[in-house]
Amino acid sequence: MMTKVREVLLLLLLPAFVPHTDGTRYSLPGKPTEIKCRSPEKETFTCWWKPGSDGGLPTTYALYYRKEGSNVVHECPDYHTAGKNSCFFNKNDTVIWVSYNITVVATNALGKTYSDPVDIDVVYIVKPHPPEKLEVTVMKDQGWPFLRVSWEPPRKADTRSGWITLIYELRVKLEEEESEWENHVAGQQKMFNIFSLRSGGTYLIQVRCKPDHGFWSEWSSTSYVKVPEYLHREKSVWILILVFSAFILLILIWLIHMNSHSLKHCMLPPVPGPKIKGFDKQLLKSGKSDEVFSALVVSDFPPTTSNYEDLLVEYLEVYVPEQQELMVDEGKDHDGCLKSIGSASDSDSGRGSCDSDNLLMDKSGAAKEEQQQQNQEGDQIGTETQGPKEAWEKETMLCANEDVVSPDASSKKVKTWPSVFSPVTPYSSSPLDPHNSLEMHKQNCLSDTQFPPGSPSSDHYIKKALQSSYWEVCFNNNQPYPQTDVHQQLQAHSDRNISAINDGNAPSNLLLPTRMTEYVEVQRVNEENKVLLHPIPSGHSREEACSWVGHGDNYSKVKGVNSDNVLLLQREVVEEESMEMTGAAESCYTSSIAINTPKPTTCSHIALPVQEERILAVSGYVDTATMFSLDT
Amino acid sequence: MAQRRIRGGKLMMVLCVVAMCRAVPINDLIYRASQQSDKLHALSTMLTQELGSEVFPIDRVHACHTSSLQTPTDKEQALQVSESDLLSLARSLLQAWSDPLVVLSSSTNVLPYSAQSTLSKTIQKMQEHSKDLKDGLDILSSKMGPAAQTITSLPFIETNEIGQDKITKLLSCFRRDSHKIDSFLKVLRCRAANMQPQMC
Repeated sequence: MMTKVREVLLLLLLPAFVPHTDGTRYSLPGKPTEIKCRSPEKETFTCWWKPGSDGGLPTTYALYYRKEGSNVVHECPDYHTAGKNSCFFNKNDTVIWVSYNITVVATNALGKTYSDPVDIDVVYIVKPHPPEKLEVTVMKDQGWPFLRVSWEPPRKADTRSGWITLIYELRVKLEEEESEWENHVAGQQKMFNIFSLRSGGTYLIQVRCKPDHGFWSEWSSTSYVKVPEYLHREKSVWILILVFSAFILLILIWLIHMNSHSLKHCMLPPVPGPKIKGFDKQLLKSGKSDEVFSALVVSDFPPTTSNYEDLLVEYLEVYVPEQQELMVDEGKDHDGCLKSIGSASDSDSGRGSCDSDNLLMDKSGAAKEEQQQQNQEGDQIGTETQGPKEAWEKETMLCANEDVVSPDASSKKVKTWPSVFSPVTPYSSSPLDPHNSLEMHKQNCLSDTQFPPGSPSSDHYIKKALQSSYWEVCFNNNQPYPQTDVHQQLQAHSDRNISAINDGNAPSNLLLPTRMTEYVEVQRVNEENKVLLHPIPSGHSREEACSWVGHGDNYSKVKGVNSDNVLLLQREVVEEESMEMTGAAESCYTSSIAINTPKPTTCSHIALPVQEERILAVSGYVDTATMFSLDT
Repeated sequence: MAQRRIRGGKLMMVLCVVAMCRAVPINDLIYRASQQSDKLHALSTMLTQELGSEVFPIDRVHACHTSSLQTPTDKEQALQVSESDLLSLARSLLQAWSDPLVVLSSSTNVLPYSAQSTLSKTIQKMQEHSKDLKDGLDILSSKMGPAAQTITSLPFIETNEIGQDKITKLLSCFRRDSHKIDSFLKVLRCRAANMQPQMC
């Protein structure tokens, strides 16, 4: 009984005798965890574990393994090669395609603690060492540098026999803070090229490898490389481009400057300013609109005066200059009618009842008359006709300038038609007093405005007898008058000297028998103040009509002037063709001009008796021959 | 489509051989075969990892129907095996797995639904690759002599549907065997490419 009490007391006091360490509890060691085994070359492998708490007591660890298919438990052969808490299996202990069942046991004074078992197969846990001998060199490809990276497989990995097949990967980074790694898979090759480098930059390069069915190795040690400066060429290209473009820009600017005016004209066409006569811009700017607009009013428009008559030309006065005399050609028979028809392009002015050319005809006759009155130059014909001239009852002064016969004569000049012919009618009534005629000449003489300014005496002055049956139309013609030439002139539309004077008092035979009147068309007045005439073509044909040239053939005789101021002509038709015309028909007579005087510019006054045989009525034309005949 | 490809590949090879056209060199054949085996093993690895994480751990390896085949267990042994033997081993292993793959493909329904599609797809691919590899190895073996023609028969007994544990066991066995095939062919490749060290 005493022993039992002693044992109980011992048992109770036993904890007291146990040394006390500040409350530390001793326990079993913690379970080792995270057992990880790796094989670098598929020949050996190493296992590591993570020990648990030691429980306050020295703890030892042991690794036991069991191979597949056998229950024999082996312990780790080598705890030290691989470091602490590791177990290294060498080649002899390593078999492949056999799974290992590994358990780690932690042992301390209190007991053992077993870890969870792990099944591994060596071929699945291959993790090689990183590649070795990493070399980076800068190489040049046509001036552009690139990096050539080369390495070796890890020493222990047997790739030569094909036991391990390694796949490599490398990464590159610039030596900057914010740069990122750039990975490149190199496959099974042990060399790699890196392009597109930054000039002057420093690169970091690492490489790692992995077996075909395994784990990636660790990255190798970093290799540094510095790329040399190589952007000279690139920069020089840019500099060249800049210079070239600057040059082109300069040329463009210069071109634009040179053509600035035309460009301005093209881009900004000038706005036409107001060009109003009498418009004063300054006045407008000053704001006085009344003055501005009043200035616009032209004083003479609209015409406030009623001097319309002044504008109208009563008659035209054509003065023949002294040097040039109008030639009067007249045929034997004074049946020829002088007729002038304005050209087709004649202005419309005064087309009503008279034709300007007719006026010219009259004027020429009158002018010649006057000229002959004054002309004493060996004008044989003129002297002959002095008498008849004086016997003229009336004369109508026609003033006209050289432009009167031009088709484009101003309208003023031809406005005198009505008044021109009105005095014609009383011709037959009473003889004219030359003086009166002269006065009338002066009265009806046109104003100076009708004459071209500064016109010399070379102007043609044609006077028309107001009441005289004699009228004379002289046209100057510088050409000689050989009879043969006349015909040629006729056909060549040359100038013609025509003068027809119908002197009722004098027989026609007094005058040049070869004179004849013929119808001509006043073509124009040339620059020498000559009235150019050309024959009026006949109704049939011009040639036919003009083929009559012959001496003393087919001359019409002026029969008389009827009430309609139509010259009645009588023509002795030699040829078959008869030129009977009515209305506006025209006739073409050839006239042979025989001038006795050598002077080409002579006029002759011929008065021809008019025999009434035929009537030639031409609308709008006054046949002077007819007029003259009335007086007889 | 894959079967057509397999047939096409085989037909091309046969035609080439028959027509006495320029034969594909052995190096190329081996290289092609090794590529196929690599793909095969990669597929099985992927399968086990996916299923292992989702469904069940399959690291524990049990006895496979192909365990009776003696294969090298370490590097020295493997490097001492002749090329013909290596080829024979590869072909035997490959042959041993044609039936189990069929069984596996038809036994997917026992697995959880999420794993079924993965399993069926992958098994189908594995079948294709193994077929291609088999055809290539047949031609290769015909060029390498009679020793290469030996195929050890490794029958697979199970023909009915197998349970889930069997599936896991089969998958792990296949993973190993495909790795063996791949290793053998790669060793063979390096041996054949003496003049081309870059292939190894």
